[in-house]
Amino acid sequence: MIQARGLACASPEGRPLLEGLDLTVRPGGNLLVTGSSGSGKSRLLRVLAGTERPRRGEVRIAGIGIWPGEGALSLVGRIRMGFAFASGGLLSNLSLEDNVALPLRFLGLPKSEVARRTAGALDRLGLASVARLRPHAVSGAARKHANLARVLALEPELILLDDPLEGLDTVDRAVALELIEGWVGDSRCTLVLASEEVQVLSELEVDRLQLAPAPTLMESP
Amino acid sequence: MAFLARLGAPVRGFLAFLGDQAHLVLRTLRAGFALRLDQLAVVGGQTSLQTRFTGLDAWILVAGTALLLGAVTLIQAFSQLSGLGAENYIGTLMVLIILRELGPLLTAVLVIGRSSTAIAAELGAMQLNGEVDALAAHGVNPYQYLLLPRWLGVLVSVFALVVFFDAAALGGGFLVARLKYGITWGFFIASVRQALSNLDFAATLLKVFFFSGAITFHACHFGLRVQRSQTEIPQAVTKTVVSALVAVFALDGLIAALLYF
Repeated sequence: MIQARGLACASPEGRPLLEGLDLTVRPGGNLLVTGSSGSGKSRLLRVLAGTERPRRGEVRIAGIGIWPGEGALSLVGRIRMGFAFASGGLLSNLSLEDNVALPLRFLGLPKSEVARRTAGALDRLGLASVARLRPHAVSGAARKHANLARVLALEPELILLDDPLEGLDTVDRAVALELIEGWVGDSRCTLVLASEEVQVLSELEVDRLQLAPAPTLMESP
Repeated sequence: MAFLARLGAPVRGFLAFLGDQAHLVLRTLRAGFALRLDQLAVVGGQTSLQTRFTGLDAWILVAGTALLLGAVTLIQAFSQLSGLGAENYIGTLMVLIILRELGPLLTAVLVIGRSSTAIAAELGAMQLNGEVDALAAHGVNPYQYLLLPRWLGVLVSVFALVVFFDAAALGGGFLVARLKYGITWGFFIASVRQALSNLDFAATLLKVFFFSGAITFHACHFGLRVQRSQTEIPQAVTKTVVSALVAVFALDGLIAALLYF
């Protein structure tokens, strides 16, 4: 499903994060990307999702070249992808319900199907009572769960999760973890998960990629 | 050499800006043609929101400005041309000053002040919050969901507001003409009709089309370039206003030169 060759990424201030990374994830495969904060996990996920251009290298998703190329736009209408962002990512002028439903409406699904999948996903993540509220009016945990609900409702072939457990309490974490375990066991979807919480995810049967800490950028005297 | 280098950088920057504008327009057009029937409801909803904000919510401002402008134009004309048969030139004055030039131009300026600033700020904030990336990552083409509805909404709104502006300005002009010379509505409109030509309609339509494109795509360009910090948003808004104003005045001059010179 994912083939990356010779990937090189840098932080916005020019600090090299990844250098010459080769990566293959087969269809239905699962990959856990770990590493310390600032090691480039989120950046790698954004590059694989096609929302951030790498400094160098090639990325192909299901045989479709996204880098070099048009990034995520190359996948629109061809591969269903879901990306749960570590923060943000929800449209601030839409309710949580509309955020979850928008990709489904754009897919052209019938209204009844959109409503069924949206309600189901929000219910599963415990967001039914705040579904009509906008992202700024709910807690950080609810926003995190809304990101997951959007992915769940879309039933994607490729799922990218950026630190989905960060900042969640025990109850919310259990809900998210149950969902992730379901995706890991589902051979119809490919999962790439970035997290610092190796202990919590140690039970998952996934391939692992440990990113090395990024070198510190030295200021010239 | 140093002088040439100093000259080259802004020229290169300007050409890059033009290239980016062309890219945005072409991508948005392509996205528009690629729209499926089942996506029309979503895009239509966004377009109607933009139309309501840019067009409907601005009509009082536009009407008030136009009414005053139409009245002031004829007050000034009468004060300067009294004794020279100013009443015989009412139609020509209204068509030349208001319908041909100031109607589309001032409408565009008002829309830049109200809507292009809002579009740039909104897109900048969306960019910072990762919303544009999230759209693309979930199969929602940002050109279809963000740019196309804004372009269509601004196009429809600018057209409606120009018609509204012209009508209100004629109303203001008629009020002055009526009070000053007791001119009847029939005479006033006949005088305006006589001075109007098909070329004026064509020029207005061209201006509406190009002005709305310039307003939208300048706002989208600067809004979507926001990358890292909240402080970039006001900078994007300022750049949008300045750049869109320059573009609108340049287009206005170009169209006038092409059609009337």
